[in-house]
Amino acid sequence: MIRYSAVIMLMVSSAGCMHDMEPETQPLPIVAAPAAPKRPQVSKAPATAAKAAPPAKRQAAAQPAKAPATKPQATPQKPQPATPPKPAAAAPTLDLDALEARLKQTKAIGLMTKLSLKNKVDDLLDEFRRHHAGKPMPTVAQLRRSYDLLMMKVLSLLQDRDQQLASDILSSRERIWGLLVDPKSFAALQAG
Amino acid sequence: MTKRLIVRAPALLALACLATPAAAQQDTEALKKDLTAVIALQGQPCGEVVSVQVLKQNDYNADCKDGNKYHVYENAKGRVIVEKRS
Repeated sequence: MIRYSAVIMLMVSSAGCMHDMEPETQPLPIVAAPAAPKRPQVSKAPATAAKAAPPAKRQAAAQPAKAPATKPQATPQKPQPATPPKPAAAAPTLDLDALEARLKQTKAIGLMTKLSLKNKVDDLLDEFRRHHAGKPMPTVAQLRRSYDLLMMKVLSLLQDRDQQLASDILSSRERIWGLLVDPKSFAALQAG
Repeated sequence: MTKRLIVRAPALLALACLATPAAAQQDTEALKKDLTAVIALQGQPCGEVVSVQVLKQNDYNADCKDGNKYHVYENAKGRVIVEKRS
């Protein structure tokens, strides 16, 4: 009986150790990923970059340092396949409908405030409509100011009680602006 | 089982009576915050809404900490209007 319990204790403790190991192993690719774009810089100044690199990465940095001497064109080509997937992963698709639904559902903003904000969004969209119709008065700078102010209002209402939505809106801020300021995407938004 | 329920009923009733005003007070506080935000969004001075009178759905009289009084309502076009009351 004591043997069994000892075996169980051993298994539990070893399983615990395995769980502890996972977080340590997971961040490694993330740490290794930023090192990839540095490689082209390494090929330009191999000696300085090799010194700046941490001890764990010195072996990786040392390989491109030797390569420029024999094949200078080979080193810039290597990092290229590694870099394109990163922007795709870092920039998720903008789902305006989902953001709108989350804004409607959030309890961080009261009903009357939501109505008031909707009025303000409608007013801003009218201004964009006027701008895209060719009228001179709302300039892009004026629209940007109005847009930023409205964003600040929304974020200030959300930031304390729905931080996730606030950060999601904040991260989508420039992409939403891009959609609004471009006449084609704005027309598509209005049609959709 | 029935006897236990009978014994506990007054306690449950008292608990319910205590819980209902607490929930109502929470709603009132949430409404005050909501109207404070609405008045601020319209750029009107208020500071903080201290008392609210519900006139009908989406139609309120709000009194502010700084002494200002407002009529906050949704008009027929769906716009939120903040009017100063004397």
